Parts: sequence; structure tokens; C-alpha cells
Amino acid sequence: MTLFTKEDCKLCDQIKKQFDLEAMEVQVEVLDSNNAGALAHLAWHGQVEAARKTLPILVLDDSSSVNDFPRIESHLIDRAASFGIDYRSSNNQAGCENGSCAMQ
Amino acid sequence: MPINAESVEKEKKQGHRRDDSTDLALFVRTSQDDMTGWDRHRIVDALLRETYIDRDTAEKISIEVENTIQTGKVKTITGPLIREMVNAKLLEMGLESARRMHTRLGVPLYDVDNLLVQHNKENANVPHGPEATNLTLAEGIKKEYALLHVFTPDVADAHLRGDLHLHDLGFIDRPYCSGQSLEYIKKFGLNLPHALSAAKPAKHAEILLAHMVKFAAALQSHFAGAIGWDAVNLFYAPYLEELTDKQVHQLAQMLIYEFSQQAVARGGQAIFSDINIYWEVPKHFVDVPAIGPGGEYTGKTYGEYEKQAQRFAWALFEVYKEGDAQGRPFFFPKPLVHITEKLFKTEGHREFLNHICEVASVKGNTYFVFDRGETAKISECCRLSFKLEAQDIEDAKKPWKMRYSALQNVTINLPRLAYQAKGDDTMLFQLLTERIQLAAKAHEQKKKFIEKLMSMGTNGPLALLAMNHDGEAYLKLHKCSYLIGMVGLNELIKVHIGDELHQTEAAIKFGLKVIAHMNIVCNKMAEALDMKFVLEQTPAESTSFRFARLDMAHHRKDAEKVIQGNRETGEIYYSNSTLFNVGAQMSPISRVEREGLFHPLIEAGSITHLWLGEAQPDKEALANFVTNVFKHTQNDQIAFSPEFTCCLDCGKTSRGLVDNCPYCNSENVDGITRITGYFTKISSWNKGKLGELHDRYRNVNRFNN
Ligand SMILES: [Zn+2]
Repeated sequence: MTLFTKEDCKLCDQIKKQFDLEAMEVQVEVLDSNNAGALAHLAWHGQVEAARKTLPILVLDDSSSVNDFPRIESHLIDRAASFGIDYRSSNNQAGCENGSCAMQ
Repeated sequence: MPINAESVEKEKKQGHRRDDSTDLALFVRTSQDDMTGWDRHRIVDALLRETYIDRDTAEKISIEVENTIQTGKVKTITGPLIREMVNAKLLEMGLESARRMHTRLGVPLYDVDNLLVQHNKENANVPHGPEATNLTLAEGIKKEYALLHVFTPDVADAHLRGDLHLHDLGFIDRPYCSGQSLEYIKKFGLNLPHALSAAKPAKHAEILLAHMVKFAAALQSHFAGAIGWDAVNLFYAPYLEELTDKQVHQLAQMLIYEFSQQAVARGGQAIFSDINIYWEVPKHFVDVPAIGPGGEYTGKTYGEYEKQAQRFAWALFEVYKEGDAQGRPFFFPKPLVHITEKLFKTEGHREFLNHICEVASVKGNTYFVFDRGETAKISECCRLSFKLEAQDIEDAKKPWKMRYSALQNVTINLPRLAYQAKGDDTMLFQLLTERIQLAAKAHEQKKKFIEKLMSMGTNGPLALLAMNHDGEAYLKLHKCSYLIGMVGLNELIKVHIGDELHQTEAAIKFGLKVIAHMNIVCNKMAEALDMKFVLEQTPAESTSFRFARLDMAHHRKDAEKVIQGNRETGEIYYSNSTLFNVGAQMSPISRVEREGLFHPLIEAGSITHLWLGEAQPDKEALANFVTNVFKHTQNDQIAFSPEFTCCLDCGKTSRGLVDNCPYCNSENVDGITRITGYFTKISSWNKGKLGELHDRYRNVNRFNN
């Protein structure tokens, strides 16, 4: 499982606060201006255009991708449960008001 | 030394500026017996005018040259000879920069002799003839000028070595390509600077066509490459309401013939023209007030012209399907159909898709441009497209403002990076960064040069581009793109990790990393220099051949392991841009899907070619295929390329490439298919492309349901 994120992305930060992604063996890719590897990985999954609209993006082990925030959350909740790891539930409605939750 | 505003100022102050190029007469032409008219001070004057050396040195050189002439056995002294003698003196004295400034640009007699007789195949769209020779000669001199005087030596040397390729050096004084809207001539008429007459906005469809063709020809002489037109069928629509279907068909026929027979323009070269076509009314034009006959608003919006626009689109493809009088496909204008979410919601889309797929199968003309989600763009050139950003969507309310240009294209020789990196990733990416930086430097230098020409306004050489009918110059310099292309990703990967792109997932993943790195460095350079650097899949019609030849000369041991084509015949090439090996036996959908993974990283446009050979797939099967590509891949654009043989004796056209005409058995035949982004006669192809043609995998029996 891979989670594509970037810095200064409200929704990405929220996910990172809610879940212990490392313990859940979710690879976190940070898309920034020095990370060709992450961008190439994103392209391999055919998600470049999707990431230009919204982040984070979760790519599942079967290579299918999830862009919808509540669905990402629910996949990660299932994953946490299967690993027997605690997580925090989101306390507020997810939203990205300033449009920063997308790759430039 | 690149020209800049300072040196122009300096020239003006020194009174050295030649305002009239007719001053450029030769030196003397005389003989040993007759030295009348000889004046060594002309050497001094030239040296002082053209270089920075001091008067004493100039005097000394002129005396030495005079002595050589007087004591020598030279029978005829010509201007060029004197200049070479002066240059030799400058070299002897170690005055290298003065020698560069004093260089004479020209062409050896031997070359001109060859050129007048033999066909130049660098660009298959240039036929053979006196106009073409003029073009080639002028290009030759401008190319030398560019390398000596517009670009710094590091950039020029990188080009000459083949580390990178500066495209269209022979057109150094023009931008690269242009995309525009018919609305400009609909609104302002044909009112070009210094024209002998000005025309008011067209009142009838045929007049609009006449204006379009003339304007395209005028633009062709101001741009190096493609002239593209946005939403052509939609912008004609307000002129079509009174026309019968037959008249609309005739108009479509006129448009296509006018552009395909324009081989009487610059250098005998047809205008590389593209027309963008939409079945639906694009969202950004739906509420825009339509301009109709006489340049007046019709009182309706473009959204209300959907049916008329569709009628014209349909008619255009009927004409494409028929082909020319001999049944050959039209080479130009290239029809680019935008496949969008809205298309699939628009009535009649299935029939239209079948119609354009039938043309793709029968004649190959159709380009399928995929605009997924909210993306809107105009496409032109071989594969270049301009994505419309927020400001452009705002401009769409005044569509005549929608004009785009790429100023220059610089292509990087990727396989060479792998030879030099010797398997070291860090070195590979470091070298790639350096090449992109050098390409950016080349762009800065061309920009400065064009800015200088543009600053002379409508009295300068780029008057047409400086014309201002709507509050800004026709060429919006501040909005220009600067293209960075690539050749031979497939061979880079083969050298660096041992597999070609079609062979392993690891090869694709590493390939993506190379292109992602290019994308990232371009973005950084764009921010640093405030210029829009974007990646493009270079058409590389001759560049892939040129790089391959240079690498076979300078990196033979490495290059011969990966070079494509036939080394014995010299028909060698690198795979274009990020394309997979053209001969790889992949299913068409797999090729489209896998090549398409690269496309979102190449923002100025990409394409996958599917070679059909003699196959003529069912139109519905192709329509399903196209729909599938739109819905399930990231691919930017596809085209299907059939092959034809035309008989030069009986004039008939047959399917596939054959040695003898199936109608009259003549051997006097020529093949036709796509060379890169356009159809041409194979007899005009360079050797590299012939090598590629031989290797192409033909998708025979690959589409039928
Ligand atoms: Zn024949």
C-alpha cells in the first residue's frame, strides 16, 4: 500500500496524524520538487493527473487507487485493524479550503 | 557573442549599425594586373567596424595582406578571399574573438553545386526545387549566424557535438510554432502590417476561408514550424446557417485542398497546419458570444451553434475519407479531434466516433487527442499541445486573444548520458540536470534575440508578430513556452539497466524516473528564470538520426550495442522521445497504456503511434478501442497510420507498401505513410527514418472485435 502526499497539505497531515502508517506498512511518498522517485512512482500508477486535482492518494496492493478522502480513511481503518494497531478517528469533517491539497 | 540590447545600443552610438542590408556589397573583385579599385583601408574599416581590435593592429594586418597579394601569384582577388586572408592573420596573432566576429558566413561552391541538383532530406515536408534550394541556402547561413552570434560557444558546441539539438537554427529569427483562433481574423479582418491592401472582416464562409489561408501563409513565413487553429468547426459555424449540406461539403473540400496544396509557399513547403475539431461545444466556449459575418456578434452564443459545428466536422471527415483525386490521404491540414468527457454525453457521438475511426482506418488522418477531466487544450505541430490555464479560460470569453506560441525547441540526446554515466545513477541524473540547464540557457539566448527583433515593432522584421489589433502584440512573448525534448529514452535505459522499455517493468520504472527528473528540473528552472519550460516529445524527424550518427562516431563501442536500425546500410536511429522500440511486438492497447504512463509528465504533448501497415480495421472496433483508451489509460494522443503505394505511372493508389503497382505492375511507385507526426512520401525520407520504417511493428488483425 502506498500513500502519496505532499508537504503543506492539510488532508495529508490529517491522515498522518490519525494513523501510524509506518507500523501499518504503508509506504508514504512525499511529492516535492526534489523527489523524482516519488513522481515516477506516481506516474507508474497512472495517478499524475489525479494528484494534480487532489491529494492524498492511496494506492492499494492490487494497484487500484483511492482518491476520495473518506474512502482512504476507511481503507486505512481496515488496515489498522488487520495489523491490530490503534488509530485516531477524525474529529472534524475533512476539507481542503485553500486548495493546497493537490500537486502543483 | 549573443546579440543583446546593449550591443545594439553600442552599435547605434558608434554609427556602425547598418540599417539597410543592401550596403553589404562585396569587397573588390580584381586581378593581379589590375589593382585599381584596391584600397587596403577597406580592410581596416571592416576590422574596426566589425571587431574590437585597435587601429594600429588593423593597419598592420591590412599592410601584410596587401603585401601577400602583391607578391603572390593570386590571379583573382575576391571579397571572400581577402576576408579569409585577414582571418588567417587574426588567427596568427591569437585574436580568436576578433576572428569570430569577422567571420564570413557562406556556403562552399561544391555544396551549392550539390544542393541545386540533389534533394535535401532533412525535412520531408520540403520538396525539391528552386524555392526549396533558396530555403536551404538561406537556412544554412542563418544557422551559422545563430551558432556564431546568437548562442554562446558552450551552447553552440553542445549542439555541434550532439549533446543536444537546437531545432530550426535556420529559422533563428522566428519563433517555433503557433496556435491561434479564427476569431482574430473574423473580428479584425485581414489587416496585416505593410500589406498592399487590408480586408474587412469576412461576410461569407468562403471569404473567411480565403482569409484563413492567407493568414496561415503569412504566419508560416514568421514561424519555423506548425500553424494550428483552435476549434475550427465551431468558429466557422456562424457562417454556415444559410448553407445547404452540399455547400458545407464544398467548403470542407475547399479548406482541405487549400491547405494540402499550399506547396507554393515558403520554400515550396506546404504549411504545416493543424485544425482542432470538437463534436461538442467545449465547455469554455458554450456561453461565449459568437462572432459571425462582418465581424459582428450574432446575438447567440457558441453553445447555440452545436449543430452547425457538427455539420462542418462531419463534412470535413467525409472529405478526408475520400482522399485526393488519386485516392491518397491528405497530408495537411492534420485534423485533431478532441475526445472529452462531454463528447460522450453529446448526441450523435457514437456515429461521429465511427465516422472519424473509419477515416483513421481508411486514410489514417485522424488524431485522437484525449482531454480527460477538466483539461482543455489546443494541440498542434507533431504532438505539441498547449494546456489552457485559468487565464486562458478567461481569455476564452474573447477567443481572438487565444494565441499561443512555443519560442524554441531544444532536444537532449539521452543515450549519450548513459554512455557517459557508465552505470552510475548519480552521475546520470547529474549529467541530465546539466543538459537541461544548458537547454534553458539556449532558450534564454533565443528569447533575448527574438525580444530584440520584436522591440523594433511594426517597422522591424517581425512586423506581423508585432501587429496590435487588440491591445497587445500578436505574439504574446511573455506567454511563450520553451520546449525541452528528448530522444532515445529507450536506448538510455538499455545502456543503463540492460533492458529496453518494452522488456521489463523495471525498465519502465527507471524510464519514468528519468522523465520525472526532467519534469522536476524544468519546473525548477521555470521558477528560477521566470520562463515556461515544458517537456515535449520531440518529433525528431532528423534528430534521432543525427544523434545516432554522432554517437556512432564518438561513442562507437557503447552506441553500437544499442543503436536501432541497420548499421550496414547506415539506416540507424534512436527511438523517438519516450517511445518504446517501434518493432516491439506489443498488443496495441498494451503499447498505448504503457507509453501513456509517460504522457502526464510531458506537459507539452505526447503521442502513441499505431502502425497499421496494410490492415484496415473495422471502424466500430477502432471506436471501441479509442473509447477504451480514453477511459482506461493516461495516454495523451494516438494516431493510426496505414501505408499506401502510389503509382507514378497510372496514378492509382493501393494499400500497403509494395514494389510493383497492383494495377499496372509498374515499378515506378512511391510509398506514403506517417514519417513522424505527418504523412509524406517515403522517397523524401532520411536514412534514419527509412531504418525505422523497416522495423515498425504493423498491427495487423489486432483490432477486430
Ligand atoms: Zn500503376
